[in-house]
Amino acid sequence: MIQLRLKSECDRGLAPFVTRIAEGEPQCEEDATLTLSEAGGLSYRTGLATFRLRDVAPAEIAGDVLLIDPRRQIAHRLIRAASPHNTFLITEQCDQLCLMCSQPPKPQHQDMFAHFLAAARLAPPGAQIGLSGGEPLLHKDALFAFIDAVFASRDDLSFHILTNGQYFERDDLAWLRKHRTRLLWGVPIYSDDPATHDEIVGKSGAFAQLAPNLALLGLAGAALELRTVVLAQNALCLPRLADFITRHLPFAATWAIMQMERIGYGRMNWTRCFFDSSIDFASLGAAIDLMRARRQGVTLYNFPLCTVPRAYRDLAARSISDWKQKYLPACRACSLRASCAGFFEWYREEDGFMEIRPQ
Amino acid sequence: MQVWPLRFRDLDDRRTILSDDSGAYFLAKSEFVGRYARDALSPSDERFLLEKGHAFERAGDLAHTGFLARWSRRQYIGGGSAYIILIPTLRCDLKCSYCQVSRAPLASQGFDWDAETLQKVLGFLDDLPVEEIQIEFQGGEPFLRLDLLEAVAAFARRRFRRVRFVVCSNLQTLNEGILAFLDSEDVLISTSLDGPHQVHTRNRTGDTALTEVFLSNLKQVIGRIGPGRISALPTIDIEEPPNPEDLIAAYEAFGFTSLYLRPVNYQGFARKSHPEARTSAAWNDYYRGFIEALIARNARTGRVMEEFYMAHCLRRILAPGMDSHTDLRNPNIPSGANAVIDFDGQIYPSDEARMLARIRQVDLAIGNVSDGLDQEKLTLLAPGHINNFDPDCIHCPYQPFCGTDPIDDLSRSGRIDVPRHESWFCQRHLAVFDLAMELLYRTDPEVEFSLSRWLGLESIPEALRPVAP
Repeated sequence: MIQLRLKSECDRGLAPFVTRIAEGEPQCEEDATLTLSEAGGLSYRTGLATFRLRDVAPAEIAGDVLLIDPRRQIAHRLIRAASPHNTFLITEQCDQLCLMCSQPPKPQHQDMFAHFLAAARLAPPGAQIGLSGGEPLLHKDALFAFIDAVFASRDDLSFHILTNGQYFERDDLAWLRKHRTRLLWGVPIYSDDPATHDEIVGKSGAFAQLAPNLALLGLAGAALELRTVVLAQNALCLPRLADFITRHLPFAATWAIMQMERIGYGRMNWTRCFFDSSIDFASLGAAIDLMRARRQGVTLYNFPLCTVPRAYRDLAARSISDWKQKYLPACRACSLRASCAGFFEWYREEDGFMEIRPQ
Repeated sequence: MQVWPLRFRDLDDRRTILSDDSGAYFLAKSEFVGRYARDALSPSDERFLLEKGHAFERAGDLAHTGFLARWSRRQYIGGGSAYIILIPTLRCDLKCSYCQVSRAPLASQGFDWDAETLQKVLGFLDDLPVEEIQIEFQGGEPFLRLDLLEAVAAFARRRFRRVRFVVCSNLQTLNEGILAFLDSEDVLISTSLDGPHQVHTRNRTGDTALTEVFLSNLKQVIGRIGPGRISALPTIDIEEPPNPEDLIAAYEAFGFTSLYLRPVNYQGFARKSHPEARTSAAWNDYYRGFIEALIARNARTGRVMEEFYMAHCLRRILAPGMDSHTDLRNPNIPSGANAVIDFDGQIYPSDEARMLARIRQVDLAIGNVSDGLDQEKLTLLAPGHINNFDPDCIHCPYQPFCGTDPIDDLSRSGRIDVPRHESWFCQRHLAVFDLAMELLYRTDPEVEFSLSRWLGLESIPEALRPVAP
């Protein structure tokens, strides 16, 4: 597993600060250059401070943007330059309690926008950064101001924002239109049946709020990625949901059908929720066939290739972020490994897919 | 609740097909149509219409917004890419029975682009406001002027970001130069294979030995560039059509998996001497019989042959944006980015418009490569190329999937405002779409086998067959 936090040493009296591990000459005062490399760690100097990192090689972090937390002596790798999977955790608060949530909400909010802004300004050229939570739009005004500020100084960046879609308003239309080409909205929809959706997200009235807000995204011409985690609770209704999406959400650029992640509430509810698509792909197949017939994009996230019938394998993306992805011992012999999503770090064979077959 | 306007047409004596402007369709009993017409929809009717996106509660709600998006995607906007047909020569080394006007004898003079015309054609291509282009070489036999093809190809590969060439060739003559030209991955071949040996000879070569040469050339080209870059289509003389089984077998023999039945398109005097070509009943009967035979054969053999036009019409029914085939775009406004440039540098909106000019019925040139496009004429032609407001089409459930062909109307009737159901284009397409709908709703394993494979699906989802309560 790739480390997202590094041990760090620096003056505990300093306030937290954002820095970038310079590749070559420093471009700005936030850029850190290596001053000393020894067995105990790496010493860096920026225009403003010095710090040390431990248990990491300079090449691994070249170009990375770090948030140094002097009080806790930790460096958070906010942006890993070599990875396409960089996400800012906007907040851990959420108004929904989804059955399969991999990151259960917490009541308190720590405002990190100033650090995120500093980090985004140091991001590699053309980067797409994920914004996630909790529910990022619980802090909508600050979030939108942050995005405006980033775009004001970096017109090459874009964001992939995961939101439950509960907090859009008609007044947001102009803002959504203005940024439509640079924001991709990932919004979950679990069923076309309001009661089923509400049950899965743990909030009554959620679907009734979601539907008009999705219409707003459509009217804004926003880039929309619908996301549906397959669960025992909704798996058999996927063809109905596909029909709903193609009729009422034709403006969605793609529909991501996702397998569950066994962590957080996902671990707690695993036996109740996990749908073993390796032994029953029929409803998924029918849903995909409908999307294909109507020419709307569909993608499979977090599905190991051997669990997907051959006819649909081209849809299965290598979706699991590098830092939490693994393969099983059985995968060693598989010829498809290089193009396979593999498994989440916290996946367990004993209560996972029945049919894992190296190809 | 507001229901979007529905159009309807009886599929048979029990069932009616209905659709809205977005192309969302469903099947209903005639009682439903009665309730709809009397504004007496039942609660379950209303639930169905709302659920399937044929109705909405408020402007801006999800059902309304979804409909707007689906409607807008049904309209062909164009832009981005161009499709240009070039006629570098009108000369041809064959004299097919159904080719009335679009050829000149092999040895004749003055039917090829001269050097100046070539330069002006390249200038015309250069000025197109696109970065993607498909250039189709027609004739005559374009390979008689390989030098002109090479000049255009070299220029286009430099000028455009994406380019594809289709050479419509009779493949009657091959040489090293032609084979080398075909080796490029961006070159596709479209040729004619009218069916079994004797049919091909009767229609096209008039000589068994020439047919042998063609068949051996076809085999050689497929062997050289693979089946992926070559397509063939049979032109059907409806007075003597080939037996469907024989025709399919002739295509299978070459490894083709798709064929595209095209009726002989008689022009001018020929049309008068072939009255059959004017009425569509014979064609529609043959076409239906062919599709049924094809479906039965696919089920029997387990192999999958596609009839391109039926597959294309099915795809157009099911999804928006299926506009790859120029004949069924709507609107299909003539422009420089979708034009034919003749051997003499005249520019036409379509191949048939070129023929009408050749037989001096009406000059539909929209400009020439020297003076550019004639904007006035383009403006005059535009309204005939959209079916959305046609007084007949607005009542037709197939309007969102269908197109227009005012040039064909003009050629057959001398005017473009004939009642649709009297036009060949309309009669032919009503029959195709009727058949497509019938097949879609036929839950017969033989039909599903062919349809699912034509559509690239594992099976036909039930949701593609909505039925009103």
